[in-house]
Amino acid sequence: MLKLVAATGVAGLAGCSGNGSGGSEDAEPDVQGTYVSASSVDAQSLNWLTIADSTSGSYVTATLDGTWAITPDREIFPLWADYSTDDGRVYEIELREGLEWGAGYGEMTAEDWVYMIETVFQAEDNWSGYPNADDWFRTNPDSGQREPIPVEQTGTRTFEISLFEVDPSFPFKPILWRQQCIPKGILEKYAEDRDTEGLQQDEELNTLAYTGNLGPYTYENWERSASYTVTRNDDYYLRDVADVPDRFREAPYFDQEIIRVISEESTRLGALESGEVDSAGIPPDKATRFENLPNVDVNVTPQPYARVLIYNMRANGWEPFRSKAVRRALAFAVDKESVVENILRGYGQVAQTMQPKWSEWYDDSRVEAFGVGDRYGPEATRSRLESALSGTEYAYDGDRLVDGSGDGVTLTIYYDSGQPTEGTIAEFVAQEFSENAGIEVQPEAVSSSTFQSNYVRTSAPEGSEPEWTAGIFNGGPRDVATSAEPWDMCINLQFNTYPFTPASSKGFFERRGGINFYGYYPEEDIGELYERASSTTDDARRRELFGEAFGLISEEQPFGFLAMPSSVSGYAEDVRGYDEEFNTGWDSQTWYFA
Amino acid sequence: MSMRWYVVRRVLWAVVATFLILSITWGLLAITPNPAAEQMQFQAAASGGSAEAAEEAFEARRGLDRSPWVRYREYMLNMATLNWGWSQSRSQPVTDAIANAVPYTAIYSVPTTILSILVGLSIGLYSATHQYTRTDYAATFFAFFGYAIPNFWFGIILLLVFGVQLGWFPVVFDSDAPFLSLAMGRQLVLPVVVLVTGTIAGIMRYSRAEALEYVEAEFVKTAKAKGADGYRILTRHILRPAAVPLMTILVGDILGIFLAASYLVEVVFGIPGLGQLSYNAILAQDTSLVLGTTLIFTFVSVIGNLVQDVAYTVLDPRIDYGDR
Repeated sequence: MLKLVAATGVAGLAGCSGNGSGGSEDAEPDVQGTYVSASSVDAQSLNWLTIADSTSGSYVTATLDGTWAITPDREIFPLWADYSTDDGRVYEIELREGLEWGAGYGEMTAEDWVYMIETVFQAEDNWSGYPNADDWFRTNPDSGQREPIPVEQTGTRTFEISLFEVDPSFPFKPILWRQQCIPKGILEKYAEDRDTEGLQQDEELNTLAYTGNLGPYTYENWERSASYTVTRNDDYYLRDVADVPDRFREAPYFDQEIIRVISEESTRLGALESGEVDSAGIPPDKATRFENLPNVDVNVTPQPYARVLIYNMRANGWEPFRSKAVRRALAFAVDKESVVENILRGYGQVAQTMQPKWSEWYDDSRVEAFGVGDRYGPEATRSRLESALSGTEYAYDGDRLVDGSGDGVTLTIYYDSGQPTEGTIAEFVAQEFSENAGIEVQPEAVSSSTFQSNYVRTSAPEGSEPEWTAGIFNGGPRDVATSAEPWDMCINLQFNTYPFTPASSKGFFERRGGINFYGYYPEEDIGELYERASSTTDDARRRELFGEAFGLISEEQPFGFLAMPSSVSGYAEDVRGYDEEFNTGWDSQTWYFA
Repeated sequence: MSMRWYVVRRVLWAVVATFLILSITWGLLAITPNPAAEQMQFQAAASGGSAEAAEEAFEARRGLDRSPWVRYREYMLNMATLNWGWSQSRSQPVTDAIANAVPYTAIYSVPTTILSILVGLSIGLYSATHQYTRTDYAATFFAFFGYAIPNFWFGIILLLVFGVQLGWFPVVFDSDAPFLSLAMGRQLVLPVVVLVTGTIAGIMRYSRAEALEYVEAEFVKTAKAKGADGYRILTRHILRPAAVPLMTILVGDILGIFLAASYLVEVVFGIPGLGQLSYNAILAQDTSLVLGTTLIFTFVSVIGNLVQDVAYTVLDPRIDYGDR
């Protein structure tokens, strides 16, 4: 998931300040200028085996392409390698010819890959601490155990991955998408002795000395907390490849790329305005100002993260949330268009299910809409809520919803204390619930780390053994396992909807899903639909099944889906190459100055 | 003899105090749950993976899979032998991280300290001899304005006005500019202005108060009667006795001349100095780096206190610690 963001590339972050004089109608632009982008945080390390943050990932991706990229049309674009499969279970990966390591490690071969996977990724005790090691293990249906995925070298430049079960979306998952590699010559120094420290502190790994011709740029300099500089790689392998679009012919088109670390937002935006950086992210409330500046172009791209209103259905939440009818009624209470237009300033889209509208898995005919148009309002909410709660102690006393003892119902909603936009959304939800459903809601600010430990982690009480447990977030059945602190609703978590690999969100909608900290028990077997969809190789059938799954999700309303905020970036007006689609940075090495 | 013994005892105490502070720092870091680890576990679970595996990987990377006693011993030994270890959050040795950051802090803290002492002293002394005049009020107002205004807000405003609107100064701090060049000087004007206005008030008011004690003194009146002009009275007759208590605040400042790091100013202006280094290290719970920076600051403070006390006795022979 971190790679999802990292793959937008270094060029996807900031704007430029070069003086362009090349012809704009040429097939290939001129190589010129230094592209300067602004980042709010610095990377932690260039040794990608040890990192798990997206900034570090983007620094590395500038010098190492990885296996393949995914285009916005959801197609695999081979970079270092291509894959082939007959049955969607066994994948053969073939590396290109002519991929050369730097620092004297020779040609990149399948041996490097297999060695890396077997001794580092799949090492029994994960001695290196590789963050994504778990991706390389799957449950073997024969033994019921989690085992390393068998990988075998089948030629100098080919190797085979044999999954235990069919998985047609395997190439789209971060396990191989944009996956990088390290020469066997470096790894063998540490693998034998399981030398974690040695691996972390290896100089060649920390200075990207081994990147050879494998990426558009080569490492030049990294001044911690200040700037990261890479220079154009004259030997970039992709220029010699026949079957790529013309715009890759002389890529990259910048002499140098520099990432400047500027942690203060006002300074970052000031630098964009004064032309000292070529691109920076812009918060939605400042976007209008930048749209009016002549030297800055504002680009809005959709993001896969959904802002959702989570209902706590565990014993320490509000019990009526467990009823599907109640959740559906409440979905009429919040005006989603208002959230998008007024809070996100129009930079976002309404969310109705666990997929964005532009995704190929979103089936308009199946997804139910709530909170928009005539599917919103006080009468609509109250009438449905009243009938949903008809058999319970809850009833309407005038405008207010009261419980069995006549007290008005008051719920809490938690938001991240460090995010003012979330605070606004929480207050808006509180206001809507009060007006449209007669429920008083109390917004509460909480820091994200406190929230994580006291509200998201659930477990059964000390000493008791729950019937089953699904990890630290889903500690057991919802009547038994709860979080340390009670809560009713929260708005501070955004979930990735995985438009490229929708099966990854299965855990949210299963009773025993590892991430199901809110205690949702689905009425329909949504998990089974996910599994059938992930195991069929027939694309049309898969689309149908996922369409049905996301339609069911919108029907059951496990969360209140609110909005999918867009990402707003500002670029200097002479930068070319980006577009308004999701994952627009996938070919950032072809961006140029006009 | 007893004075020397006093100094020795103080230095030994400095070592003990540093050790205690480092141990407490280490302890606090060890018991604090790491938000990055929590975040990783959550992300792993949210994408259908295993939170436990993510946690184990994190601990393996950080060396947290060993017992606390083993880790504590290793850190303390490393501190003592000046082998400060590897910074996880910057992937470089701690000594390199600190060595890279100190020059960037020094280039703004040296001018700040010198300017605030000189300007603060001058204004303070001038105010003392011209008490209750308009200049005195203006100086007091200016000093307290600088003191009351939040540094980071003032910095942002200056940057927006002089950097973005007027374009007189660069907005982005260019760390490649050579240290003693005009370009570097230009990008330091705003940070130094912000910091000096913030620290002048204390020195100014203190020196004014100390000088006032002597303005009406007998020996000053004698000097005036003998025909000494204002400037001579100020520097040769008032400044000397006033300097003694003033030293108590100034020596500490001067010792920390290279390390008067201001995190807020560094964040606003993007200066990769010691302030940002230590703060980011704490946020990332990068134990080696936190201990390294804590050691420096602690050491400077403790020794600074000692030097201040000793300077006091040197300047005023009536004071002696020998019998303590």
